[in-house]
Amino acid sequence: MSGWTQFRAILRKDLVRELRTRDMLVSMILFVLLAMVIFHYAFSVKEGADLTYFTGGMLWVTFIFAMLLGLNRSFAQEKDEHCLDGLLLCPVDRVTIFLAKTAGNLVFLLIIQAVAVPVFTLFFIERNYAGDLLPFLVVLLLADVGICALGTLLATISMNTRSRDLLLPILFLPLIVPVLIAATGATTLIFAEGAGFGDLLARLLFLLGFDAVFLVAAWGTYDFAIGE
Amino acid sequence: MKKLLSAPALFAGAGIFLIVGLLLAFWWAPTDASSMGFSQKIFFYHAPIAETALVAFGVAFVAAIAYLRTQDLRWDRLGYVSIRLGLLFSVLVMLTGMIWGKAAWDTWWAWEPRLTTFLLVCFLYVAYWVLRSVVDEEQRRATYAAVFAIIAFIDVPITFFATRFLPEGLHPVVIQAGDSGMEGRMLTSFLISMLGMTLLLAALIRRDLEIEDLRDRVTDLKTSLGG
Amino acid sequence: MTIEEGVKYVAAAYAIILAVLVVYYFMSARRVSALRRDVEALEDEAKRRRAPAGEAGAE
Repeated sequence: MSGWTQFRAILRKDLVRELRTRDMLVSMILFVLLAMVIFHYAFSVKEGADLTYFTGGMLWVTFIFAMLLGLNRSFAQEKDEHCLDGLLLCPVDRVTIFLAKTAGNLVFLLIIQAVAVPVFTLFFIERNYAGDLLPFLVVLLLADVGICALGTLLATISMNTRSRDLLLPILFLPLIVPVLIAATGATTLIFAEGAGFGDLLARLLFLLGFDAVFLVAAWGTYDFAIGE
Repeated sequence: MKKLLSAPALFAGAGIFLIVGLLLAFWWAPTDASSMGFSQKIFFYHAPIAETALVAFGVAFVAAIAYLRTQDLRWDRLGYVSIRLGLLFSVLVMLTGMIWGKAAWDTWWAWEPRLTTFLLVCFLYVAYWVLRSVVDEEQRRATYAAVFAIIAFIDVPITFFATRFLPEGLHPVVIQAGDSGMEGRMLTSFLISMLGMTLLLAALIRRDLEIEDLRDRVTDLKTSLGG
Repeated sequence: MTIEEGVKYVAAAYAIILAVLVVYYFMSARRVSALRRDVEALEDEAKRRRAPAGEAGAE
């Protein structure tokens, strides 16, 4: 079985399992929508307050916390059902497992974002940013890759410790700050003022660099993270 | 040579360089021309401590890679000793940085690149300790810690870069001169202090490793006596 | 900023640095000597226990 076939197989397994029951996806989507409502009440202390310049931040904070929930859930499930042990018994390259899991998480995140972004636009964004949709999607994708890669690596470690889901945010959040900085800046720029690829270039290149660096780092260390 | 690298010798060397550096900074180097004036002298220790903290984390990074390749727990020990000291130095960077901030900008806190990066660095390496505390088995703990030490160290320059070059105000600002370049007497005094701080780090690492070794001996002796 | 104010800030910064490093140094020095004493004590104890056992074995 070639690496690519293995990758597809593992990815398919994760996707099918989740799509069959859908409980993780549904919970994450509900969480994200609820978070938006809460943000409205958290920030609208002043009559008619203009949240336009907060939009990028609100969006990405929501996605990051949703991802933390999702990662905890999916890895806890794997651990309880000993799926990972079974997988490790097969002669699969550890890195393939990492890439497949990251891709699976990426798909889930994209699905959630597909639901969340329109609703978010409805709630918070006045400007019609359809013209800037392509740059926005690029920002989304680049930031997502970083979040999923780092999240998958760290979740693999934290799941095997005593405090499981409590540990993941502590490890993950300090590391993801650079992505947060770049992504919220870019997103707010798009939502508030409209920006093309030119204005966003620095941030896009930064996100690309971040993704590249951490994919390589995860590729080098995943063997150890997943253990014997 | 062995004697030269022992803890007391390193402490002595560090002490000499630090004191000389301090004297030079105050009596030999010219007072800063900017509005900070005399308070700029804080920089002569603040920056070396910052560099030394990063050196400590770099040592941990190398130790982590070495551990993953050799599985020798002594590398793990070097790693957590270095990170513990790096955290100590990082806290010092933040404290002196805040005093510097009060002197330069009349505010105890500013979301500027150096303070923010070191704040995150503190969070990162405290997370390292939390990770260590929730894994019971020795080899696994060392492995996970090593992976995290590697990832964390890679993230430090990235974070600094992000806070420095990705403008929070959305629009590119003309990059201010920041700390004016140093030359001549200022630079010499600064470099001497730097060397002193790095020697101090080496001395502290040496001493801490000794302590861990001694702790091991005590435990071994106790078990052989008790058992 | 006047020299007097500047001196206060500088003194505060260096005082903190000195305090933390000196405290850490002395704490670790104490720990080293305490541990060395422990090791010696335990080694002596081990020697003592081996001696009578040797005599008992010889009989």
